[in-house]
Amino acid sequence: MPDAAATAPPSGESAAAALEFLAEMSPDLRGAAILGPEGEVLAATEGDEGRWEDDAAALFAAADEAEGAPVEQVHIATEQGEVFAIRNAGLAAVSVTERFALASLMLFDLRSVLRQLATPDLGTPEGTKSRKGEK
Amino acid sequence: MTPAKPHRILLDRVSVYADEAAAFMRRRRVSRRPFARLYYPHGRSADHAQDSRSGAELFVAAGRLIEVAGKKPKR
Repeated sequence: MPDAAATAPPSGESAAAALEFLAEMSPDLRGAAILGPEGEVLAATEGDEGRWEDDAAALFAAADEAEGAPVEQVHIATEQGEVFAIRNAGLAAVSVTERFALASLMLFDLRSVLRQLATPDLGTPEGTKSRKGEK
Repeated sequence: MTPAKPHRILLDRVSVYADEAAAFMRRRRVSRRPFARLYYPHGRSADHAQDSRSGAELFVAAGRLIEVAGKKPKR
């Protein structure tokens, strides 16, 4: 499911810490999951991990099938909320936010988190700071 | 007639921009419809309408994820 540049998957603990960091940065976040190279859930916020895995796989499959090419990012806005998905550095992440979340920031944060998980020596995702209170 | 103080001009200018931004956000909220947008390597992107076959599949998959995520946790 993730892109081709798969490396050794990060541990569940570091993925969980990354999700916590993401939740801290993104006040609109409802839930998110980080997926390993085989599409397995490394960490997820509340909710059934099996469902996160199945539903993320279904989303990426539908997105790849749409134009017959693997997607890099997905953004779907519905009346009930918004869904973001991204592949980076051999990992993938999906997130669900409130409506009207700032798409570019959410995708940037997801990409930063994945990049940092893939190369832990990079430290804190660059240019990220809390957006709490921003609207 | 006394000219306006510089800080007053600055404040007026800022509030005009703030009003414009607020109006833009209001219009965006009212007019924004559901959409599915896919991004490919090298910056290409494609929109898929909700009533197309691919769009419908994307919206179904997104709906399931929204369901599993549940409501926003209280922090």
